[in-house]
Amino acid sequence: MSVKDQSKPHAQAGREDWGPEVEELRFRRAEARALGGAAAVAKHHERGRLTIRERVERLVDANSFQEVGTLTGQGRYEGTRLTGVTPAPYVMGLASIDGRPVAVGGEDFTIRGGSSWSGDRKKGGQGGFVEDLAASYCIPLVNLIDGAGGSVTSINRRGHAVFPGVHGFERSVELLGKVPVVCAVLGSAAGGPAGRAILSHWSVMVDGTSQVFAAGPPVVERSLGQKISKEDLGGPQIAVDVAGTIDNRVASEDACFAEIRRFLSYMPANVWELPPQVPSADSADRRDEELLSLVPKDRRRPYNMKKLIGHVVDRNSFFEFQPTFGKALITGLARMNGKVVGVVGNNPMIYGGAMDVKAARKQVRFVEMCDCFHIPLIFFVDVPGFMVGKDAESAGTLREGMRAVFVGLQATVPMYTVVVRKCYGMAGMGTTDKNGLDFKIAWPSAEWGSLPIEGGVAAAFRREIESAPDAKAREQEIEARLRAVASPFRTAEAFGVEEIIDPRETRPYLCRFIDAAQARLKTTLGPKAKYGVRP
Amino acid sequence: MAEIEARTDVTGAVWKIVTQVGQRVEAGDTIMIIESMKMEIPVISEEGGVIQKFLVEEKTPVSEGQVVAVLTP
Repeated sequence: MSVKDQSKPHAQAGREDWGPEVEELRFRRAEARALGGAAAVAKHHERGRLTIRERVERLVDANSFQEVGTLTGQGRYEGTRLTGVTPAPYVMGLASIDGRPVAVGGEDFTIRGGSSWSGDRKKGGQGGFVEDLAASYCIPLVNLIDGAGGSVTSINRRGHAVFPGVHGFERSVELLGKVPVVCAVLGSAAGGPAGRAILSHWSVMVDGTSQVFAAGPPVVERSLGQKISKEDLGGPQIAVDVAGTIDNRVASEDACFAEIRRFLSYMPANVWELPPQVPSADSADRRDEELLSLVPKDRRRPYNMKKLIGHVVDRNSFFEFQPTFGKALITGLARMNGKVVGVVGNNPMIYGGAMDVKAARKQVRFVEMCDCFHIPLIFFVDVPGFMVGKDAESAGTLREGMRAVFVGLQATVPMYTVVVRKCYGMAGMGTTDKNGLDFKIAWPSAEWGSLPIEGGVAAAFRREIESAPDAKAREQEIEARLRAVASPFRTAEAFGVEEIIDPRETRPYLCRFIDAAQARLKTTLGPKAKYGVRP
Repeated sequence: MAEIEARTDVTGAVWKIVTQVGQRVEAGDTIMIIESMKMEIPVISEEGGVIQKFLVEEKTPVSEGQVVAVLTP
């Protein structure tokens, strides 16, 4: 297919004939829609992946995609006659998700594997129009990543080596403080695209068809002599479950798009707005009977913290972040009487809820995100402290844990500390709102202190225990004595904890205060200044 | 037939094995209990299956991610 020579004379005056130009536009648009051609598209489908145009179509509201830069690409000419166009390997534009505008873009893998393209202006990738659009209009950005990043072949094409950062991440960094950024890894992402996936508020990848790494298997083999498959190097079982590089994993691309839509449903368009409220079908006054018997009286027995969270928040509203990483901590967005909240819960099923390095990293990331978007936080606390032992010390638990404490203290959103069971030490401190209302609500099962009694007695009463005829009996006797005094009701007498509630009252109690905090949230809208040096 | 590996989420020591070889368990059932951080942490079967063998005994120290039992669907 081609476009006719446009050199014919003007049609009659007053009825200008723009037919050839309109035909050329139609032809060029058709070329853009064809992506890398039927064969390349078929091969892409065989790999179990959708094209970028199919992805955008399935992600956004029907017929809402308004493309920008459709004609960008490399024209092919015979003389002055256009014979075809190879589109730039990036598709982007403005679309709507649940009726709200978003900037969306992604690499077209069917053209040179979605690698970078040199035009007058970048469409997307690192920087480019799509990021400018999100920043300029203050709307969320969705990156559908399916590109391998830079290639040494670009040296040939340009005639020089590009300095790192010539197409940098500066806009991506700016966006993280302004608008929600979602990254989906939908193929093998290495180098720049992999880095960009991390520069997001929430990221997701697809089982079986996506991997993410700083460098792929050929580079690893050349550098370290290690032969490893791309799945073993950067599949979700590494990137999501072990490393936490990407937040969530899903079984299919369609599930991925559904999760992106769900994530965005909790988010404001930008940091100058509050998250959208929805009418709640779940009564704010609901007292949940299940909560009363959920925590075992035997302190050695754990319980299901996710179930507990599910019984408190609006029914089916809990959207979990990083469910397979740092499992000693549970994080996610939810709604309380229709208002968005961030939920952080210690998981007693993993190390009794002790904060290890991964849990600390998870808490830091989540608390920062909620603070950035003015989302109040509820902590469901059952933490015996930082994780102990040589492995934990070697991993840097103390530094990462203190970073979680630091970030919590810098955050300015309202926080609610619901002490379900243990709240000890510095990790416990990291669940409180010391610079805000410092509002601590406890269940009767709660206990707290600098460190758990059973660990602390042996150290603090060592001489007394060692000099006793029956050391073990003396230790137990001291423990029992201290435990009686450590009742949460005694702390409540001193107003050292603001309230002790029947577990069944948790939802109505929290809903009252979260509703009341909405006016105050409006007073602190806008970007949050960052200062100081994180430990 | 593909085997299902049951792994412990935590480092600790096997406290109690609460199932037997040949026993059928469903997803969510407790196979054994690990003592860690003074807590009794269950090893929960992620899928239903029949226990073929245990790779640990009571009091065996275990590490995070270690396979402790093998099941068949």
